[in-house]
Amino acid sequence: MTQPSDPYFIDFAARVRALQVAMAEAGIDVYLGSRLRTLSWLTDAFFPWRSFVVVPPHGLPTAITFLIDAARAADDSWLDEEHVLGYGPMGGQDQVSVLRTLIAPHLPGGRGVVGFETGTATYLPEGNLTHYEFEALNAALPGARLQNAHDLVDRLSLIKDPGTINRFREASRMVDVGHQAVYEAICHGGYQGMTETEIAGLASYAMRKAGSEWEWSFTGGNEIASGYRTGLAAGACTPASRRALRPGEPLMVDLHAMFRLGLGDHAHNYLLGPATERQHWHARNFVSAVEHCLAAYQPGVTPSSLADTMFDFMEEGGFADYMVPGFEHGIGLMGDEWRIGLNDGPFPYWTNPEHEYRPGEMLICPMQYACPEEEIGFRYENPILITEDGCEPLSRFPLGVEEI
Amino acid sequence: MSEELVYLSPAWVAEAGRRLCAELTPEMLKRLTSSMLTVYTACPDGADRALYYNVVDGVVTELSLEEGTPRDAEFTITADYDTFARISRAELKARAALMSGKMTLKGNLVKALRLAPVVDRLNEVLATIPTVY
Repeated sequence: MTQPSDPYFIDFAARVRALQVAMAEAGIDVYLGSRLRTLSWLTDAFFPWRSFVVVPPHGLPTAITFLIDAARAADDSWLDEEHVLGYGPMGGQDQVSVLRTLIAPHLPGGRGVVGFETGTATYLPEGNLTHYEFEALNAALPGARLQNAHDLVDRLSLIKDPGTINRFREASRMVDVGHQAVYEAICHGGYQGMTETEIAGLASYAMRKAGSEWEWSFTGGNEIASGYRTGLAAGACTPASRRALRPGEPLMVDLHAMFRLGLGDHAHNYLLGPATERQHWHARNFVSAVEHCLAAYQPGVTPSSLADTMFDFMEEGGFADYMVPGFEHGIGLMGDEWRIGLNDGPFPYWTNPEHEYRPGEMLICPMQYACPEEEIGFRYENPILITEDGCEPLSRFPLGVEEI
Repeated sequence: MSEELVYLSPAWVAEAGRRLCAELTPEMLKRLTSSMLTVYTACPDGADRALYYNVVDGVVTELSLEEGTPRDAEFTITADYDTFARISRAELKARAALMSGKMTLKGNLVKALRLAPVVDRLNEVLATIPTVY
């Protein structure tokens, strides 16, 4: 556990207390978190297995995870081993039995309200309560009422605290180290004979040497694309393939690093020479669009207004056809991906296009430029922090599309 | 001692406590400090019974038969009388009973697994008592 003087310190106890206040206001006796984002936000540990966190009305929460990983999770967490428990296929120790044991004492007379997390998500490891778990808990807690309450955590975790922001800054620094390593490896023809997977690997090695814990993205770790794969119009995630890098083709390098659950995510692009003037034209379009987008981000901007601004700009430049719509996706501590604001748009659990950004929000600025017919495309991703008068891109690797 | 004692009778419990103190050193019990309750359901007379173990720094300081509502303990192990009897007669492994759901454990599973060898040693001593079930 870190101290307040640590730049990466997060006051998890204060988070728990804030959630308990919100629970009381919402009439919830116990909060049952099952989403990866909630586990990260409350425990400061990474939970790769099906896990839960039970937040009582007062006092410390208790996380439970698959037995084989429980001691490691407790070691990483600010919670002690009495508050990070294991479950397993044993009498009284299966998930539902342990949850019942933790929840029941906080339900007055066996009755009360259990807040839980459900919904839908584009993100596979979201972790909403499954139908089976819901039914089993209902049966195990016959006097209780289960109520969807995921918005409590989402609301409280929207504005990022300094410790979280600093963790993202450090993860972004590690990503920049990875990008520098890729550049040094591929320049002066060094890319010849390399494959996409090799680029992913050498970036991983550099980032790990810099302290990154893993290439956290569920989309395949470091996403590397070359040639026609860069130009896939619906190709915003490109797990590295065994494709060899070839002269005259574009190369997309999208790296991910993690530092204490803070996430680095930055994409940089190259033209493997010799590049044509047409390829450079595409590259200039892309860079100008990114510059315009970063300049447009500020408090009060909405996804909808930003899209209008961007498409006006790109239509004026004559390249709007190549830009994939969408200039934002949410980000938070590990597991908090994709949602913008409270995901309370006109389509359930999707971005609200009228969500107004506020200082202290963090998101990924993603841009995908794709021209499939010319087998060329570029991607930009960077965590940005909304500031009082604009935004701060956390990855500092210089923007550009270099010809190698 | 060759006289057979009735399982869970006061005489059996007294003999169990004596043997645990005499035969287990603090090192064998890993200088553990903890408490454990074993709840026997469906005893031959139809009643439920519970044994309460208290261990301080590797010394068994208490082994008592609980009457009425048993005390809380750090770990509670519950099974029917027959299951416990089969474990005592070495006809069934405790781990198998737990994993098949014949036996339930309440308490921190991570810690319980760490202490499993200690519980095995307790059971090994109890198994030496000439017992009639």
